[in-house]
Amino acid sequence: MSDLLLAEGITKSFGTNRVLRGVTLAVGRGEVVGLFGPNGSGKTTLANIISGLIPPDRGRILFEGKDVTRTTMDARFRAGISRTFQIPDPYPSLTVIESVRVALLCGKPARHAGGEEKEGMEERLESLLVRTGLFSQRFWPAAKLSQGCLRRLEFARAISCLPRLVLLDEVFSALSARDEAELVGLMRSLHREKGISFLLISHNPLILEELCDRVVAIEDGRIFWEGKPGDLAKYVPAANHAHGREDGMQEEG
Amino acid sequence: MKTSPYGKIPGALAAGAGVLLLLPLAGIDAFFLDVLTLGFLVAVYAGSWDIVGGLAGQVSLGHALFFGAATYACALLTSLAGWPFPLAAGAALLLSTAAGAAVGTLSAPLKGPFVALLTLVLGEAAHEFFLGQMFFSPRGGYSWGGEGGIPVLLRGQPLSPWAAYYSALAFLVLSTWLMLRIARSEEGLFWTALSGSELSARASGVDIQKHKRRAFMVGAALAGAAGVGFAACVGRATADDFSLELSFQAATFAAVGGRGTIVGPVLSALVLHSLLQGTGIPPAGRVLLYALALLVTLRFFPGGVAGTLRERARSRRMVLPGKGEGR
Repeated sequence: MSDLLLAEGITKSFGTNRVLRGVTLAVGRGEVVGLFGPNGSGKTTLANIISGLIPPDRGRILFEGKDVTRTTMDARFRAGISRTFQIPDPYPSLTVIESVRVALLCGKPARHAGGEEKEGMEERLESLLVRTGLFSQRFWPAAKLSQGCLRRLEFARAISCLPRLVLLDEVFSALSARDEAELVGLMRSLHREKGISFLLISHNPLILEELCDRVVAIEDGRIFWEGKPGDLAKYVPAANHAHGREDGMQEEG
Repeated sequence: MKTSPYGKIPGALAAGAGVLLLLPLAGIDAFFLDVLTLGFLVAVYAGSWDIVGGLAGQVSLGHALFFGAATYACALLTSLAGWPFPLAAGAALLLSTAAGAAVGTLSAPLKGPFVALLTLVLGEAAHEFFLGQMFFSPRGGYSWGGEGGIPVLLRGQPLSPWAAYYSALAFLVLSTWLMLRIARSEEGLFWTALSGSELSARASGVDIQKHKRRAFMVGAALAGAAGVGFAACVGRATADDFSLELSFQAATFAAVGGRGTIVGPVLSALVLHSLLQGTGIPPAGRVLLYALALLVTLRFFPGGVAGTLRERARSRRMVLPGKGEGR
């Protein structure tokens, strides 16, 4: 599987706090990679750097073999990297349909490159809203949506232009069982039908086991473990190693 | 599929224009005709602020800069350089648009209050500069500028009050139609998006710096067009054309009418300007009444009159899943 994305030697500090310490992560074409780790481990910072929201201090981002480290988030979206946010930030003055239309209009080049120009914009918009379960709320102001619908809207925006890579940051958190099942189903079908790659950030090991080809655990700004989703149970967080040592010392004492 | 809440506005606008069209025939006197003529120009100016501060969310407190740039360009080019007025008007429009591009480029990396501060500083700098600047006419050696201003030479017969009224009304209708078209275009959608959430706009592929610059350019061009009309009607450019009061007025009209609705600021500017000028209230009293109008509006219509009505209309269109479809 050739690399679609390669984040190489990514280092990032905020003041004296070193959040990422030389992380290297690859995502193959059509691969679903899970990013797992405790709060503050650097998962979202890595997603922010890959999506172009913030620049790395050191390291580079290669997408389809091209160095995109210095490009902006909007340029990366147009190039085929899209993302969702952990806390959705909808447009208060736009309706659901208008919110998705913004992404569809901006992503024209990416869509054309994917041979999607034959399908009309409005037809595509409607089918997208039907698939994400937002069709009946398409004229609602985005700011008045429930948490579950906001996640669906984030998802619809992110997949609107059929990107090559989607970064999903805790997209399944705070969802009802029904919402979660529907989004999981949509993600699977997009992966199967369109070969879209996903980088899935989640706290939930069950979701990662269910959806991912590979899981990467990140702790204290470093890749700490990498393996098959089925082996996730074998992963022991670094904090537990430390506790283990302390327990051992107490026992010895 | 039409999804915009502006659907019925062109009809209402046409009806309003019809009333204004017949008003001079009802025997209205020359003073009120003049007040309404300037009111039409102020309304376009308020709409131009709404493009930048309402639709695109870049609150400009120095919008008079673009208006004053146009009036001064008309005055300097006709009085000092001897250009014919139409040529000077064209140059004034280009100058305003270029000023918009410059301010838009400078403010593009900034957000919220910093955009307001930058525009405030630039507008006031221009005001102070032209307040103290004198220009010498090579022909006749006249000294112009400062508070007295510079005359705008139209040459030939000046427009009659009726002709000025109808020209200004046509300009208002055309400009409002154009602004609504822009608001409903792809560009208008991008402006509303970046106004609502820059983060989501960037994540949706919107090049926010480019679109902010475009919003300033369009807003400045329209403010410049209003300035050209003002220069032609008043026949003089003064430092007041750059004043803070003029910039704040535009923001007040938008807050009262409803930011981002175009029609709201245009109508509130027309109504408030005409009422307050027409009743001959002194400037200090006008400022107090503007403040009162703002307070009352924000109490009963938090999103401005048109903005709150639009929100209510949208709420009515919200249909719960399974209970029929919204439109």
